[in-house]
Amino acid sequence: MKKFLISALTLLLVLCFILTGCDFLEIPPIDTGSSTGTSTGTDTSTGSGQTTPPVLDDANLPEYEIEGIPSYSGEPYVALNDNQPQFTSQDLTTESYEFYSELDSLGRCQMVIACIGIDLMPTEDRGSISSVTPSGWVQAKYDIVSGKVLYNRCHLIGHQLTGENANKRNLITGTRYLNIDGMLPFENMIADYVKETENHVLFRVTPLFYGNNLVATGVQMEAYSIEDEGEGICFNVFAYNVQPGIAINYLTGESYLAGEVPTPDQSQTQTEIQTGTSGDGSLADDPELNEQTYILNTSSKKYHKPTCSGVTTMKEENKQEYTGTKEELESQGYEACGTCKP
Amino acid sequence: MKIIVCIDDKKGMLFNKRRQSRDRLLIENLEKHLAGREVYISPYSKALFEKSAINYKVVENPIEVGQGYAFIENTPLPNDAEEIVVYHWNRHYPADTYFTMDISAYNKTSSEEFVGSSHEKITKEVYVK
Repeated sequence: MKKFLISALTLLLVLCFILTGCDFLEIPPIDTGSSTGTSTGTDTSTGSGQTTPPVLDDANLPEYEIEGIPSYSGEPYVALNDNQPQFTSQDLTTESYEFYSELDSLGRCQMVIACIGIDLMPTEDRGSISSVTPSGWVQAKYDIVSGKVLYNRCHLIGHQLTGENANKRNLITGTRYLNIDGMLPFENMIADYVKETENHVLFRVTPLFYGNNLVATGVQMEAYSIEDEGEGICFNVFAYNVQPGIAINYLTGESYLAGEVPTPDQSQTQTEIQTGTSGDGSLADDPELNEQTYILNTSSKKYHKPTCSGVTTMKEENKQEYTGTKEELESQGYEACGTCKP
Repeated sequence: MKIIVCIDDKKGMLFNKRRQSRDRLLIENLEKHLAGREVYISPYSKALFEKSAINYKVVENPIEVGQGYAFIENTPLPNDAEEIVVYHWNRHYPADTYFTMDISAYNKTSSEEFVGSSHEKITKEVYVK
């Protein structure tokens, strides 16, 4: 079993609470985890949340190992630690905040954490995120991938939770499969829970990079609903950054159809190349392959070509221009217009 | 026995022993459907019903009652039912417990969509044998 040595940050919320006067919840630690309290040397930075971010201190940055992650076996995610998140009681607060670690020396995203309340949730549709180039972003197109393109700019904390757009500290190179099947269901569950109850959910996402790989092997997601002490939301999972039928060179981000992986002589270097089932398709290299300008109808949730006849009859208050990919739009619940078929 | 379930796009019902989602207006819709008739629920489901006017009764295993309506979340599904009321969240959530009944032998007698308090579109379908 591989061990993943993960650098992470400790949130010293005690100081925050002293300064802000908010109280700890009277709940026991879920699990103290295996933090050892040694510095990783990783810088920290506050996020761009609408509320006062926590006071953070990088003096006692822990290293901890996440063990027991099984190899991908056909399911997009697997439970860790019996689905119990490894927050401490000090992490738990009813104060909304969001925090995004600085990129590491290889330009890779690190741990992000947010205490998600209704006040953090977006009130506008998502903007374009195409200006961000995450580490390992070597886009490719395959017919066997839904939406054709292999990679999405995957939000670590989804836009529907904190409204983050082109935040480079929150976007990784993730497969379509990771984005849609691995991460989105958990974001949906948290978002709908917060909307329904107006409770808070502490949500931490940690991308796991093996060695110097530029593409994450996957992401650990931990969540816990505060006010009801985990009765509504409680999980600790690992979602795999794989794409069935595609082999990925995690060191570089290059990819191949399974069965067409180059030999070590042909490849720049060897690293973890993970394969799924075989399939047909073609490979392309254009990194901005499917980005186009669309006209959105924010009421009907349809997206159109700018030249579509439906655009001319659209109410102005429902009309919005968007530049990005179909996949980004569809992940926000938009459907293609049946007339212009964008 | 008539049963009521809530499922996601993959027919999921629970993840980590917890319901996938909840919605106040779904309970209001169910209240209209039941129209005063009693529904059997598990202790886990009680929190959904206690603020409603629904005539509910808490039992350990709702399908063991063998009659009336059973709202099923974390208890076993029956092998058969005379009516199945399915609420679709129209969302994809994580799941480790699924709705496994085969409804191909049932007739869908009604379908309606409504906006929930925290869901853009909830679809209610009723199947009878």
